[in-house]
Amino acid sequence: MKPFSKMLFAIAVTAVLASLYFVYPISSDAKEEKTFVTHTGGVIKTSGDVLDPLYTAQTVEIDPDKYLREFNYGRTSSVDGKTVREYTIIAEDDKVMEISPGVFYNVWTFNGTVPGPTIRATEGDWVKVKFINMGSKTHTIHFHGFHAAEMDGVFEPVGPGGGQFMYEFEAGPAGVHPYHCHVMPLEEHISHGLYGVYIVDPKEPRPQADEMVMVLNGFDTDFDAENNFYGANTIPFYYQHHPIQIKKGELVRIYVVNILEFDQINNFHLHGNLYHYYPTGTYSVPSAFTDMITLSQGERGIMEFTYDTPGKFMFHAHKTEFAEKGWTGLFLVQDEVLQ
Amino acid sequence: MESTKTSKAKIAAAGIIPLVLLSVMIVYLFGPGAELVNFGTPLPNITIERVDFVESEIQVTVRNTGPIELSIAQADVNDRIQPAAIEPDKYLARFETALVRIPYSWNEAEPYEIGLTVNDGTRFAHSVEAAAPAIKPSIDLVSYFAVIGTYVGIIPVLIGLLWFPFIAKMSPAKYKFFLALTAGLLLFLGIDAIEEGMEISAERLSGAFNGQLLVATVVVGSFVGLYYVSEKLVSRVSSASKSVAIALMVSIGIGLHNLGEGLAIGAAIGLGEIALSTFLIVGFTIHNTTEGLAIAAPMARQKPMIAKLTAMGVIAGAPAIFGAWIGGFQYSPISAIIFLSVGAGAIFQVIVAILKWIRQDEQGLLSAPTAAGIAIGMIIMYVTSILI
Repeated sequence: MKPFSKMLFAIAVTAVLASLYFVYPISSDAKEEKTFVTHTGGVIKTSGDVLDPLYTAQTVEIDPDKYLREFNYGRTSSVDGKTVREYTIIAEDDKVMEISPGVFYNVWTFNGTVPGPTIRATEGDWVKVKFINMGSKTHTIHFHGFHAAEMDGVFEPVGPGGGQFMYEFEAGPAGVHPYHCHVMPLEEHISHGLYGVYIVDPKEPRPQADEMVMVLNGFDTDFDAENNFYGANTIPFYYQHHPIQIKKGELVRIYVVNILEFDQINNFHLHGNLYHYYPTGTYSVPSAFTDMITLSQGERGIMEFTYDTPGKFMFHAHKTEFAEKGWTGLFLVQDEVLQ
Repeated sequence: MESTKTSKAKIAAAGIIPLVLLSVMIVYLFGPGAELVNFGTPLPNITIERVDFVESEIQVTVRNTGPIELSIAQADVNDRIQPAAIEPDKYLARFETALVRIPYSWNEAEPYEIGLTVNDGTRFAHSVEAAAPAIKPSIDLVSYFAVIGTYVGIIPVLIGLLWFPFIAKMSPAKYKFFLALTAGLLLFLGIDAIEEGMEISAERLSGAFNGQLLVATVVVGSFVGLYYVSEKLVSRVSSASKSVAIALMVSIGIGLHNLGEGLAIGAAIGLGEIALSTFLIVGFTIHNTTEGLAIAAPMARQKPMIAKLTAMGVIAGAPAIFGAWIGGFQYSPISAIIFLSVGAGAIFQVIVAILKWIRQDEQGLLSAPTAAGIAIGMIIMYVTSILI
């Protein structure tokens, strides 16, 4: 071959190999084929990985099972016959958590979790919340309910890196209330996870029941002001894969708080049953007997119901978009519940 | 002898030293010097290259086109989370691809948006205008594409060749006009091919591949390559067969162009993006008839050589069939861009050859018939292109 033809040949080979590399890249060796059933009932056979929003116990960093029935009554003491309850809440904003399988998101937390701890007191108790800001930004806690103007968590910024503040007020009114950071931009602080539930029990206790807390929330993981994930207690589809076990014939009481950012409304629909609904939990008489209530951001209430037949019953947002992005769960009604 | 050896060694060293220094620098930047250049946060990026609708399943081909490794965490259809499988696995190195299989009972002809969420929570979406079943090679489809290719490629070119006797009996000025007309037609096709290549690179190719520059590279490469080869060929032959050589080059250039056209049609059918109408076929047929004219013109001063002309018609037209097969069954945006760009380079080379041919005349290149021919050629192509 002449030198020129050699060169031409080399160029041609280079071009062909380069295009082949991009068009048909080398893929790894095939693995063994396995079958799985998706959470919507579909069946698929694959030799690869499964992309299913199924949160298993091993990977849980925020434990919705634990959160569901965990109430923090604080360190209790008595001063002049009045009950004093002291709590400590620490804010952080550097945690990265797996909020859905394979999806890692920077959550801002009260006491390391989203939502923060459920604070519980009885009407008339003196509540003292020691707030420590270990974050990199200014944070506060704004409690809904009665308190003095200087305890509002709006005009009392708590600086980053260890700033402290003591929120003090008399618990009231009886009901269920949210608390959240009230630093601007509010949307950012709330959507990252700085919120929790504050329950005030009436002096005359409510009837004995299986009590649980559900915070309806979501996450905008790609910052386009639209939620990518929805859920009750943070993890999408969690209670669908891990049904909440309840006992047949026993009264169930749910403290529901909608803190969902970005979307105008949220709602709660129950299958096979209806519930008595107490808006904000402030009156002892229910406002409705229904299977569907609508909540805007910050709205909350108490639901009470009893199942008389065993089996699986779904509960979910009847805004189907939210339901299909994670806000779906199941109650498993049993004759006896093994705790 | 000794001195030439050392000087050769010196030259070789002079060639190699810069390469050695370059590789030392690269190794340093990837190794100990990495911190020097690692500022800013690299963001993940993926490109959804293909969406196929098969029996109760949507199959998505995804490629990591970002600067970092990533993993695919979730799939959705119309922004609703769907369980899915990903093969070979969910971890994607740079430029690696994977196939996401979403069990889904989709509805034909409805639009769908397919979304994939990566490990940092960013969602990437790709829209499909109308779901159509993924086509699998079958005798029916192979022959269907062959028929389309014949209609779009072979038949119109052969019809155009029938102008041969008409051109053959022309005065030199008129003949010159028709040669220039050919150049105009080809110029339009060349620009069209580049535009098509650019469009594919914008719509289907990730920015990481620099599609526009790939078009430029391949167009220039094929132009200079073919220019060199044709000069060699033409310089060896007599003046009489020179016209045949030019006609052959015209038909090869047009053939590459028609391959690209076939690819586009096959891909559009395969991807469910066009309903193939009679109108579209008629448009292509009228448009491509002018290509026959372009082949006939350079040979019009010779005795009619029916066999040669027919062969050239087939060379120019038949690639449309292969293009439709490739585009329909194994579409890849990169190969489409490469075919189109090679075609454009070939066409520009042919234009240069024709203009040289015209210039042999004592009147030179810029005469009234030439100018009018080029302009009218472009206009004819533009008007018929509206039909498509």
